[in-house]
Amino acid sequence: MRQEFYKTLTSPVWLVILVLAVVLPPLLPSYYLHIVILALVYVALASAWNIVGGMAGQISLAHSLFIGTGAMLSTALLLKLGVNMWLGLVISAIISGVMGAMIAWIDFRFQLGHLSFVLITMAFAEMGTVIVEGWDFLGGASGLLLPQDKGDFLAFQFGGGIGAFWVMLVLAIVSILINVAILNAPLGYYLRTIRDNENAARAIGVNILRYKIAAMVISAMLSSVIGTAYVRYLTFADPYLLVSPIIIIEVVLFATVGGLGRAYGPAFGALLLVPLGEILRGKLGGTLPGLHYFIYGVVVIAVILMSPRGLLPLFEKWFSRMRPKAATSK
Amino acid sequence: MALLEVDKVTRRFGGLVAVNNVSFAVPEGEILGIIGPNGAGKTTLFSVISGFIPPSDGEIRFAGESIVGVSPDRLVRRGLVRSFQVVQTFADMTTLDVVTTAALTRRPIREAIDYAAHVLQRVGMAGKELLTPATLSLQDKKLLELAKCLATDPRCILLDEVMAGLTIAETEAPMAIVRELNSQGVTIVMVEHVMPVIMRLATRIVVINFGEKIAEAAPEEIIKDQRVIDAYFGEHLDA
Ligand SMILES: Nc1ncnc2c1ncn2[C@@H]1O[C@H](COP(=O)(O)OP(=O)(O)OP(=O)(O)O)[C@@H](O)[C@H]1O
Ligand SMILES: [Mg+2]
Repeated sequence: MRQEFYKTLTSPVWLVILVLAVVLPPLLPSYYLHIVILALVYVALASAWNIVGGMAGQISLAHSLFIGTGAMLSTALLLKLGVNMWLGLVISAIISGVMGAMIAWIDFRFQLGHLSFVLITMAFAEMGTVIVEGWDFLGGASGLLLPQDKGDFLAFQFGGGIGAFWVMLVLAIVSILINVAILNAPLGYYLRTIRDNENAARAIGVNILRYKIAAMVISAMLSSVIGTAYVRYLTFADPYLLVSPIIIIEVVLFATVGGLGRAYGPAFGALLLVPLGEILRGKLGGTLPGLHYFIYGVVVIAVILMSPRGLLPLFEKWFSRMRPKAATSK
Repeated sequence: MALLEVDKVTRRFGGLVAVNNVSFAVPEGEILGIIGPNGAGKTTLFSVISGFIPPSDGEIRFAGESIVGVSPDRLVRRGLVRSFQVVQTFADMTTLDVVTTAALTRRPIREAIDYAAHVLQRVGMAGKELLTPATLSLQDKKLLELAKCLATDPRCILLDEVMAGLTIAETEAPMAIVRELNSQGVTIVMVEHVMPVIMRLATRIVVINFGEKIAEAAPEEIIKDQRVIDAYFGEHLDA
């Protein structure tokens, strides 16, 4: 499987995407560049969430807590205590990892079922919102404003637009590669077995608690780092955007539409739906407010009805039908 | 010293005593059969031994050490593995994936994948590596239960009705596997309703009725035991 890992890295599809990704964006008008950056943010987030939500099959809504910690805490540390944002990124990621481990432990200790897990993680996310809005250190309800991005790399500044694009591209690729690596490592096998049948997993030697914690910690830390990079791009740390249930519901939606549990599924969903959502809003939002939500909703429902396991498996099927000899990847 | 010692084990569910003060010992290399009517407590006994549910009372030792309170996955690592009477399904994995997970107990990933393929071939499932367990025939699902156990390289396997529901002809393959495993030194404890199978395989048989051990002897003696005939064969003959 390790060979498969490297084969994936050097496959022509990847190379084409990479070349396009490098050549195209600098030529884009800033509105489209913004859409590309946003899509990359969600590619990274959906892929990070996939480790818990897709591979381990645990629909966690607590991830807005990790994204929010990465964004709000690193910003607050810089503005209130003068902590370098790189260090803030590390501190936030560690705190997110610890919170993730705690949630995984609670899930195991109290043997939460699927629904209880969703509700508990939603409660955690809600608590995060309340804490941020009530605590002035984190900006309260009005949020925090980062200093202007002058492109000082050592101060975690990347020069706005194009710089942010490069950062997000790297994060998106890293997030996807971590997915590929986990799926080909023992952890991927353990998580998928736990997801499909927890009792059977225990009966063949899988330590449930250890691997649920591992998945949650990796996923939480990654989400936190992406949150820090995202807030630097936005400059304004808005709690209603970054710690809100909406951001995590979008992430879950993109991952599900793309294909849960697969290395490229969530990325695929985000790449498709973020631009679709933005363009619909751009074209229709002014003339017929609400219509873009409606069309967007219809598309999502159609996809889920057509292929409940997401779009990627559907495309793989078409692909293998067109080229019967080509083996499909997982 | 016996490899597995079950010492006065009791398991209650509320007022129901599913396993009542059961003791037996399994020396290394033996095939021990456990029989008893439906609801006698056989599966519960296996769940207690394999760490899935704690005993209400009693002591269990594996390789000389107490294993009460040890989690199932740690027992697998120590060499004690169980199969499930109810065949286990996996929604989004192939048979090879599932057996690979089992093989990871003692092997690094690449070896585990090769070994899993080897184990599937050994139980007669070559060519079915990429199927989803849910699409398998009952016979293959039972063979997969066996394959999962084998892939963990156990010292002792608890087999819970791996032949149930199979035709006599279909039991030949799993029987051969059990024999071969045993000849390689693996200790086997098997619950089985299919009498011809257990009579031919087991070196000793424990009979359980209403949670209690009512007899323990060699197969040829067991079929002569009046209590066993009353408790077990009687019921089956009537049915
Ligand atoms: N988790 C549980 N909670 C309550 N009662 C249980 C539980 N598990 C088993 N029982 C009861 O314990 C008794 C023994 O059940 P068990 O499944 O161990 O029998 P068995 O000998 O394996 O039967 P069979 O031959 O049908 O497989 C039954 O009366 C059953 O209803
Ligand atoms: Mg049973």
